[in-house]
Amino acid sequence: MIRIKFWPLVIKQVVRHRVRTLLTVAGVGIAMYLFVAIQAMQKGVAEATQASAADTTLVVYREDRFCPFTSRLPEYYLPKIKAIDGVESAVPIRVVVNNCRASLDVVTFRGVPRDQFADTIGRDVEVQDGSLDAWKKRSDAALLGETLAARRGLKTGDQFDAAGITAYVAGILASDHAQDQNVAYVHLDFLQQQTDKKLGTVTQFNVKVDDPSKLDAVSAEIDALFASAEQPTTTRSEKAFVAQVAGDMIELIGFTRYLGWGCLVAVLALVGNAIVLSVQDRIKEHAILQTLGYPSSLIGRLIVTEAVVLGTVGGLVGAGAALLTIRLTRMSFSVDGLSIPIDAGPLLLATGLLLSVALGVFAGLVPAIQAARRPIVTCFRAI
Amino acid sequence: MAFIECRQLSKTYRKGAGTIRPLDNLDLDVDQGSFLALMGPSGSGKTTLLNLIAGIDQPSGGALTIAGQDIAKLSRSRLAQWRAKHVGYVFQLYNLVPVLTAYENVELPLLLHPISRKVRHERVAAALSLVGLADRHDHYPRQLSGGQEQRVAIARAIVTDPDILVADEPTGDLDKPSAHAVMELLCRLNQELGKTLIMVTHDAATAEYAGLTLHLDKGRLVEQSVQTAFSGETATTRTQDGGAP
Repeated sequence: MIRIKFWPLVIKQVVRHRVRTLLTVAGVGIAMYLFVAIQAMQKGVAEATQASAADTTLVVYREDRFCPFTSRLPEYYLPKIKAIDGVESAVPIRVVVNNCRASLDVVTFRGVPRDQFADTIGRDVEVQDGSLDAWKKRSDAALLGETLAARRGLKTGDQFDAAGITAYVAGILASDHAQDQNVAYVHLDFLQQQTDKKLGTVTQFNVKVDDPSKLDAVSAEIDALFASAEQPTTTRSEKAFVAQVAGDMIELIGFTRYLGWGCLVAVLALVGNAIVLSVQDRIKEHAILQTLGYPSSLIGRLIVTEAVVLGTVGGLVGAGAALLTIRLTRMSFSVDGLSIPIDAGPLLLATGLLLSVALGVFAGLVPAIQAARRPIVTCFRAI
Repeated sequence: MAFIECRQLSKTYRKGAGTIRPLDNLDLDVDQGSFLALMGPSGSGKTTLLNLIAGIDQPSGGALTIAGQDIAKLSRSRLAQWRAKHVGYVFQLYNLVPVLTAYENVELPLLLHPISRKVRHERVAAALSLVGLADRHDHYPRQLSGGQEQRVAIARAIVTDPDILVADEPTGDLDKPSAHAVMELLCRLNQELGKTLIMVTHDAATAEYAGLTLHLDKGRLVEQSVQTAFSGETATTRTQDGGAP
């Protein structure tokens, strides 16, 4: 790039037309805001649906059902599932949501037997605030995922209402697992009584296998076991389950990647336009610099640096604002009780910034080459 | 050997279907430390010659040797290096960068040289002091008069201590007192610092400051006048064929 001693020259040129610069930076910022937000959604989808070699969780659901309101499985399936070779643990879960449609603010209750929580789901989560004992002791107690708690502004000791259920916050959970961050874990019997007015029916079973390589064999065996039962099952890995149940939404989010690319093209056009205008305004000045002995390559690099400054400042503002918004609002897409978090971290911020810099270079390249190649005398004559 | 040697120097431009020849096989020798004025009607080739000597344009034919270096053969980047080291250019319309202060404008050419910030500061201060504008270092061009702007431009031209100063109608946009002050300054640079000074002018009174005035017409040298150190006495020689007088 250019030496530090030339930076004041670049900065003075960038702020020369303040309104133009502000508009360009604002445009780049908005485009990068959208880009980062879209990437955050894509990241959430990837985290929620892309299987990894370490996945060991299966979801047993009612065959041909995709909604927690219609998947009804007898709780007595549990010992039969546990008896299958390769099953490490299994937990019956009743799922109730306050809104069955796709939404950004869904409260998902998951009813889990109080004596099974610690040995199953509890192994993947950390109770950050409150305690598991407090949850066990109180029948209406709920352990909230940190995303849900933050979004609703709830803390330990609060009471909240959703889906016609009033629950007491006994603690806040932290988890790397997307599906645990946006739920309220309550006692299974409490949830059954609140919704069905009777015990014995669950929405699904979450099954842990003792070896990831056994996922397919165990799921096939579970489905075969209940194939002729009154409530036949379909068993899939948890991420495959999310991918299928939330398929429409995932497809929609997938489509937004084109909007993301559109944002990058917008950045390119905005910065390119600003630099082209700026260079056209300064044909004579570039000729003066060349007369003073500035080589063409340095003129070109000065122009590219101006474009990079515009792109970087806009990118920093936009990507930073997007990161802040996502972190503060803790939004996640929910459909049928499954969560797809909108998640942005420093890596996404760095990606946004890096892209802004790269786009700045590209946007400045053509006007820089044109300015550098223009003969000095022609520039003076052109004025 | 002369400091500046032009041999069969020519420049042609294409314009539409035709060709323009602002310089036509010109031969010229200029000694180091001399003050040369170039005069002639519009289109006579004086600014083209000035630009070729300043290294901001390249000849179409012939040789142009300055201090033993044939600059016609230099690449674009080497020519830029050469300009940075050897030439200071003073424009008619000053051509200061409007967003930079007087100090920053004068500092511009020094940024190309491998010198410390402290040395840069000393040289800029010295150049501004020499043109009598040390107290205006933080003024922007719009805050200066035309004469002051031209003096800043002269400071910018001399700050790298070049061998040659070229000036394209340096007083063309100035009132009489400012023009006189600028010409006095240029004469001092020529006489006290020994700078070779080549100036294009339309004004005979301005040309009188120079030791030698060359008249060009249609790209050829047609007349030379030698002034005797401000005495007003002038010896004129007419050239027959546009060759070296």
